[in-house]
Amino acid sequence: MTADAGRHRRKALAAMEAETGLVHRRWWTPYLFLAPGLVMVALFSLWPFVNTVILSLTDAQILRGGTFVGLDNYTRAFADPDFWTATGNSVLYLVVVVPCLVLLPLALAVLVQAEIPGIGFFRSAFYTPVIASAVVVGLIWQWVLRSDGLVNTVFRKLSIVSEPVPFLTDSTMLLVSAMIVTVWKGLGYYMVFYLAALGNVSPSLHEAAALDGAGPVRRFFSITVPQVKPMMLLVGTLSAISALRVFTEIYILGGESGGPGGGARTLPFLIRQVGLGFSGETGYASALSILLFLLTLVFSLLGRRLSKGDES
Amino acid sequence: MTRSNATRTAVATLVAGTFLSVSACGVSGGAADVRQGEKTGEVAGEITFRTLQLKPKFTAYVQGVIDAFEKKYPGAKVRWEDVPGDGYNEKLVADAQAGALPDVVNLSTDSFQLLGDRGLLADVAGLDPQVAGEYVPGAWEQFKLPGKGDGVYAYPWYVTPEILTYNKELFEKSGLDPAQPPTSVEQFFDYADKIAAVSGGRYSAFMADPKGRLPGDWQKMGVPILNEAQDRFVFDTPKAVEWVQRMKDLYAKGAMPKESLLKSDDINQLYGGGKLVFGPGSPGFVKDIKQNAPQIYAGTQVAGAVTGKLGHIGIYAQSLGIKKDTKHLDAATEFAKWVTNGPNQVEFSKNATIYPSNARGLADPRFADRGDGKDAETVARAVGAEQLASAALDANTPVQWTNQVGDAVVREMQKAIQGEQDPQTAVRKAQEEANQLLAKSARK
Repeated sequence: MTADAGRHRRKALAAMEAETGLVHRRWWTPYLFLAPGLVMVALFSLWPFVNTVILSLTDAQILRGGTFVGLDNYTRAFADPDFWTATGNSVLYLVVVVPCLVLLPLALAVLVQAEIPGIGFFRSAFYTPVIASAVVVGLIWQWVLRSDGLVNTVFRKLSIVSEPVPFLTDSTMLLVSAMIVTVWKGLGYYMVFYLAALGNVSPSLHEAAALDGAGPVRRFFSITVPQVKPMMLLVGTLSAISALRVFTEIYILGGESGGPGGGARTLPFLIRQVGLGFSGETGYASALSILLFLLTLVFSLLGRRLSKGDES
Repeated sequence: MTRSNATRTAVATLVAGTFLSVSACGVSGGAADVRQGEKTGEVAGEITFRTLQLKPKFTAYVQGVIDAFEKKYPGAKVRWEDVPGDGYNEKLVADAQAGALPDVVNLSTDSFQLLGDRGLLADVAGLDPQVAGEYVPGAWEQFKLPGKGDGVYAYPWYVTPEILTYNKELFEKSGLDPAQPPTSVEQFFDYADKIAAVSGGRYSAFMADPKGRLPGDWQKMGVPILNEAQDRFVFDTPKAVEWVQRMKDLYAKGAMPKESLLKSDDINQLYGGGKLVFGPGSPGFVKDIKQNAPQIYAGTQVAGAVTGKLGHIGIYAQSLGIKKDTKHLDAATEFAKWVTNGPNQVEFSKNATIYPSNARGLADPRFADRGDGKDAETVARAVGAEQLASAALDANTPVQWTNQVGDAVVREMQKAIQGEQDPQTAVRKAQEEANQLLAKSARK
C-alpha cells in the first residue's frame, strides 16, 4: 500500500511539473530562503527578549551575574510608587497623543493635498520637524517654553500672566509640553501616510457626491474618512506604540531627573534610569521592560479589537 | 477576534516590545575575578590603548607620545583607538562582559570604580610600589577601592580642579566686593541673597543644579555623608536641612534660573550672556567664555573654589587602567607610566585646559605664572594648580554615592526646593532611599 501511495505521489508530482513547468523541491527548501531573516530575528529580537525575561527573574546588576529571585522584581515594581507614576504618565501620554496624531495629520494632509502652486514648500515645511535632530528640537522648544522664553515673554508683555507659566518646571506642564513636541514632530510624518492614502481615493466618488449636493465637510466625513480608515487604524497603532516608548522629549525638556522630583518620568524613562549607568539594576529594569511590553500588548490587542468591531 | 489574529498581534507586539526590552537588557552575566598577567621584564608585544574623545583635537599629541614610546621600546607596538564620549561607558561595560577590554584604557572615576570592584583591573601599586611618589598627594590614593586593601587600580592621568568664577560687574552692582569672594557655602548663599534682592530678575546668582552641588556642598558644610563603617548614609542632619531650606528660599527669590533646578547644561550661555553672576567652576570653561563671550570674559574674576569647613578641594583625575589579564603586562604598565609621566602631562596641558596629576608635571613653572593678574585664563590656571597641591580625598564624592543614589537624593531635593515638601522630610526621605540603594548595591 505504502509503496503504491509513494508511486502515485511521484507520478502526480511529475505530471504537475510537466504541466506547470515548476519543479518540486524538498520540504525544507522554503526554510532555506527564510533562514537568513529568521536567524537575524532570532538573534537580535527573540533572544534579547528571552534574555530580558530571564534577567527579570534575577537580581542581576551591571557586570555582576544575578541569582534567581522569582517574581521579586515584579512584586517590587507593584509596590514602587515610581512605577505607578511612570505607568500613569505613559498611559496619559498615549491617551492624549494618539487622537491628536490620528486626526491632525489627516486634516493637514487634506489641506496640502490640493495641487496649487507652491504647495510643495508647505509639504516640505510640515515634514521638516521629522528630520530635525533631537538636540535641535530640544534647544528650540526650551527657548520657546522656558520661564524667560518666547511664550512666557509674550504672555507677560500682553499681561496675560503675572508669573511665568512653569512649562518646564512643573511635572504636569512638562508632560503637556513634551506631548506638544511629540505631536509637532509626528504631524509631518503621519501626514505623508495620509497623503498616500488620499491619493487612492477615487476623485469620481467626490464628483458624484458633489453632484448630489454634498458640501466639502459632508464629503470629508462621508467619503474621505471611510476611505482612509485603514490608514487611520495603522497610524493609531504606530503612534500608540511610539507614545508608550516616549523618552527623548521628556529628557531634553526636563533633564535627566525626568522633571522636578522625577514626576514626569514615563516607563521607558524609568527603565533607563534604573538599568543604565554603572550602578544599574539590570534585573529590576528587565522586569519593568516586561511590564511595559505587556502594557503595549494590551493596547495593541485593544486597538485590534476596536477595529474589528468597527468593521463588523 | 480569531485565534490566528490574536497570535499575529501578539507576535507583532512581541517584536516591537523586544526593542524596548533590549534597552534594559544590559549585561546578563557577571564578571568573575580574572587572573592577573605576569611580568616578564621585557617591554614588548602589541597592546591596545583606548582614549575618550581625544581625536581629532589631540591626535598629533597622542600619536607623538605613542611614537616616542615605540621608539624607546622597539619591540612594543601600541594600537590606539579613540571612542567618542557618547556611549563610551556602555562600550566599556560590553567589552568587559566579553573579556575584550583594551590593555590600557582611559577611565573616569565611576568607570574605574566599577571595573576595579569587579576585579578586572591590575593592581598597579603591587606591580610597581615606588611609582606612587610620582603623583600629587591624593591622586594616587584616589585609585584605591574600599575593601580592597592597599591596592591601587589605575594610574592617575589628567586632572581638572574646581575653581570659582564670577562676573565682576554684576558682583559690584549687587553691592559685593569682588576682592572678597565667598569661601563657605553659607557665605555663598548670603551673597546670592544680596544678588537676588538687587537684580530684579534681570540676572541670577547661580545655577541650582542640585545634582552637581551634592554631596559637595554638604561636605563643605561639615555634614557627614557616611557613618564610620562607610556602610550607611547619615547625612540627615540639621545642617543638611538648613542647606535645603536656604536653597528653597533663594529659589523662590529668583536667585537661580528656574530651569536650572532640572538642567544645568546652559550655564555657558547664561553666564556668557551676562545673566548669571557665578559662572562655571572649571578652568576649561574660562577658556570657552574667552572664545564665545569676550566682553564677559574681560570682566570675569577667578578665585579659589568655595571649600567651607574642609579648606581644600577634592581631586578627580582621569586615569589609565591596565587590563588585569593583559598578555603584555610589561608593555602595558610601561606605556601607562609613559603617558602619565611629568613631561608628557605638561605637554598635554599646553594643548588642553587640564592639569597634570604628576607631581613633577604640576611643579612646572607654567602653573605658577599668574601673568599680570588680569587675564582670567592665566589666573585660573594658577589658582587651579594651587588648589590641586592641597587637594584631598575627603572632599571627593564617596564611592557609595552612586549615580542612582545621586538621582534619588536630587529628586527629593527638587520637590523641597519647589516647596512641594518640607526640607526636613526631603532629607529624611533622601537618606532612606539612599540607604536602600546602598544595601542593594552592597550585595556581592
